[in-house]
Amino acid sequence: MPKLNLVDAINLALRQEMERDERIIILGEDVGKNGGVFRVTDGLQKRFGEHRVVDSPLSESGIIGTSIGLAQAGLRPIPEIQFEGFLGPAYDQITTQAARVRSRSRSALTCPMTIRVPVGGGIHAPEHHSDSPESIYAHTPGLKVVMPATPYDAKGLLTSAIRDNDPVIFFEPKRVYRTYKEEVPEEEYTIPIGKAKVVQEGTDLTVITWGAMLFQCLEAIDQLPEEVSVELIDLRTIYPIDIDTIAESVRRTGRAVVVQEAPKTCGLGAEISALIMEHCFLHLQAPVQRVAGYDTCMPYYKLELDYLPDATKIGKAIKDCLAY
Amino acid sequence: MAVAQAVEPKEVTNTQGAKSGSQGSKGEVERARLRMMMLIRRFEERTYQEYTKPGQKIGGFCHLYSGQEAIAVAIAAHFRKGVDALINGYRCHGHSLALGMDPKPAMAELFGKATGCSKGKGGSMHFFDAEAGNHGGHGIVGGQLPLGLGFAFSQWYKKNSGVTFCLFGDGAINQGTHNEALNMASLLKVPCIFMVENNLMAMGTQVERHSAVTDLSQRAAGYNMPARNVDAMDLDIAIAEIGKAVERGRNNEGPSYLVMNTYRYRGHSMSDPLKYRPKEEADKWKARDPITLYEARLREQKLVDDPWLETAAEEIAATVNEAIAKADSDPHPELDDRFDDILAETYPYGS
Ligand SMILES: Cc1ncc(C[n+]2csc(CCOP(=O)(O)OP(=O)(O)O)c2C)c(N)n1
Ligand SMILES: [Mg+2]
Repeated sequence: MPKLNLVDAINLALRQEMERDERIIILGEDVGKNGGVFRVTDGLQKRFGEHRVVDSPLSESGIIGTSIGLAQAGLRPIPEIQFEGFLGPAYDQITTQAARVRSRSRSALTCPMTIRVPVGGGIHAPEHHSDSPESIYAHTPGLKVVMPATPYDAKGLLTSAIRDNDPVIFFEPKRVYRTYKEEVPEEEYTIPIGKAKVVQEGTDLTVITWGAMLFQCLEAIDQLPEEVSVELIDLRTIYPIDIDTIAESVRRTGRAVVVQEAPKTCGLGAEISALIMEHCFLHLQAPVQRVAGYDTCMPYYKLELDYLPDATKIGKAIKDCLAY
Repeated sequence: MAVAQAVEPKEVTNTQGAKSGSQGSKGEVERARLRMMMLIRRFEERTYQEYTKPGQKIGGFCHLYSGQEAIAVAIAAHFRKGVDALINGYRCHGHSLALGMDPKPAMAELFGKATGCSKGKGGSMHFFDAEAGNHGGHGIVGGQLPLGLGFAFSQWYKKNSGVTFCLFGDGAINQGTHNEALNMASLLKVPCIFMVENNLMAMGTQVERHSAVTDLSQRAAGYNMPARNVDAMDLDIAIAEIGKAVERGRNNEGPSYLVMNTYRYRGHSMSDPLKYRPKEEADKWKARDPITLYEARLREQKLVDDPWLETAAEEIAATVNEAIAKADSDPHPELDDRFDDILAETYPYGS
C-alpha cells in the first residue's frame, strides 16, 4: 500500500470521486492551473478540464454562493477557500444560505456541497492564515463540520463528505499537510461522518482532540510514565459530534482532558466538557480539563509556538487531572 | 542619514505634478524621490535574501513590492501628513517606507521583534504607522476598501481637505467590498482615491482570467466616478495623474478611480515558483523599470551624476544593513505581553 501525506490523500479522493461522479465541480482561487495554494488540487484541471475545475476570481462570497446554486441544481460542487480566514467574506453565504437551504425549503431543496478549507496554525503565518474557527460553524445549525487529522481518515471522510446530501465544511489541518505519511489504500472507501476514532485505548484518563492537535497529544502521551494508561480519541467530525464514543470512554476512565487549538472561550472544548457533565457526571473523578489556545489572535512567528498547545501543556493537564 | 525620512522635504509636500520644487537646492525633491525608490527596492531585495538564506530569520507570508515603487513614491509626493490617510492591502512595505517609516522598525517587524512597527506580532502584512496617516496592511483581500471610504468620510466631515489613498490589487476588484465601497463613496462624494495597483496578476491568475474587462478603469463607470489608466512605471506620470485626483478630493468634488498599471518582479509571496508567467513578459516590464527610467531622466536633466548615485546606493545599502543587524539583535516580544492589544483592557483568558 502506498504511503501518502494529507495533500496526496485528499487529491486522490478528489480524483476518484470526480471519475465516479460527473456532477462534481471544483471551484476556487488558483485551484486549476496552479493546483491550489497548497497544491491539493494539483493535476485535476489537466485531468478533468476547465469546466470541472474552475479557476475563479478572488471572490469568496461568489465562490460559495455559486456552489450553493450548483448544489441546489443537483450538482456536487467542492469549492476551495484558500485559508480559513477567508471564510469571512463567504460567511454570509455559508451561514444564511447554505446552512438553511434545507430547512427553509423544508427539504424541497438541498445543498450537497463540500467546502474544503485549510485550517489552523503551525506554519508561521499570521492571523487569517492560522485560525481555528470550527466552533463557529459547529454553532450554525444546518452544517456538518469535519476535520480529519491523518491521510487515511482524510480520504475516507472526504469521500463521505462529497457523497453527503448536506453542506459539509471540510477542514484540513495545514500543519499536517506534508509532515505525516501513512498507508492509504488506492481503492475507494468511506469513513462515516459523525464517528470518532479511538486512536489508542487506555484506562486512567481520556484525551479528546481533533485536527493537528492529535500529534501533540500523541507526543504528550508518549512522554508520560509508562504506568499511566491514556485513552486518546480523535473526534474527526466536529458536528454532528460523536458523544457516544466520548461518553463510553469517560465513563470507564472517569477523567477527561480536551485539547483544542482554537481560543479557549466558547471553543468546542466547552461544548465537550458540558456534554461530559451531562452524560458522565456520576462517573467523573475530576473536573474536565481544557488545553486551548489563548483568547488572542494568532501572533506571528516566534509567539506562535507559545500560542499553540504543545506536549508540555498537554502533559501538565493530564498530570493535573490524574492528581486531582 | 536622510534616507529614512518621508520622501518629500516639508516645504514642497503639496506640489502638483512633476515640476521641481521651488524651494531647496535644484533637484532636491527629485533626488529624494529617486532615493526613496532605491531604498524601497533595496529593502525588498535584502528582505528576499534574508528570507531565503539558511537559518531563515523572516517567516510567514512576505509580499515584496519590487517593480511597483513609483506608486508609493508618487503618493508620498502628494501626501499631507496630519490630514491625509493611506490604507492598503498586504503588499505594504513600500508605502510605509515612502510615508516615512524608519527601515529599522520595518525590518524588525519582519524579524518578529518587539521593536517592530507592530511589536513583532504581525509581520509582513502588518505595517502600520498611524501617526503618519498610514492605516496599514490588510491580509483579507478587499477588506480595506470600505475602511478607506470611512476615512474619506471623516475627512469630508471634518472639512480638513484631506484625502484618502485607498490601495488594493487587481485581484481585489472582484470582491464584493469593491462594489459596496465605490458606490457608497460616489453617493457620499467623499475624497477617496481608489487606486488599483494593477500588476496584472492575482497570485497565479492573470488579469484576463479574473476580470471580465481588462481595461480596469471601466470598472468605475457604473459608479459615476472619473477613472484613469496610469502608466505607473513612470514616476512623473504617476505623480501628475494622482495629482488630479488629489485636487478633486481636496476641492470636495468626490472620489476618483486610478488604475496604476505596473508589474511585480518577484513571486506573489516567497514560495511562488512563478511558473504561470513567461520570463519574456517580466523582461519586457523590467526594461521600463521605474527606478532606471527616473534615474535616466534625472541624469539627462543633470540632477544626478555617477558620484551621487554611487554615494546614494552605498548609503542606502548601509541603512538597510543596519536595519537588518538591529532587527537581528533586537529582543523578541515578551511572552507576558501576549494578551496585550486585543482589547483596551487585558483579559488573560485561555491559559
Ligand atoms: C479574502 C482573501 N482571499 C484570498 C486571499 C489570498 N490571496 C492573498 S493575495 C491574493 C491575490 C491578490 O491579488 P491582487 O489583489 O492583485 O494583489 P497583488 O498580490 O497582486 O498585489 C490572494 C488570492 C486573501 N488574502 N484574502
Ligand atoms: Mg495583482
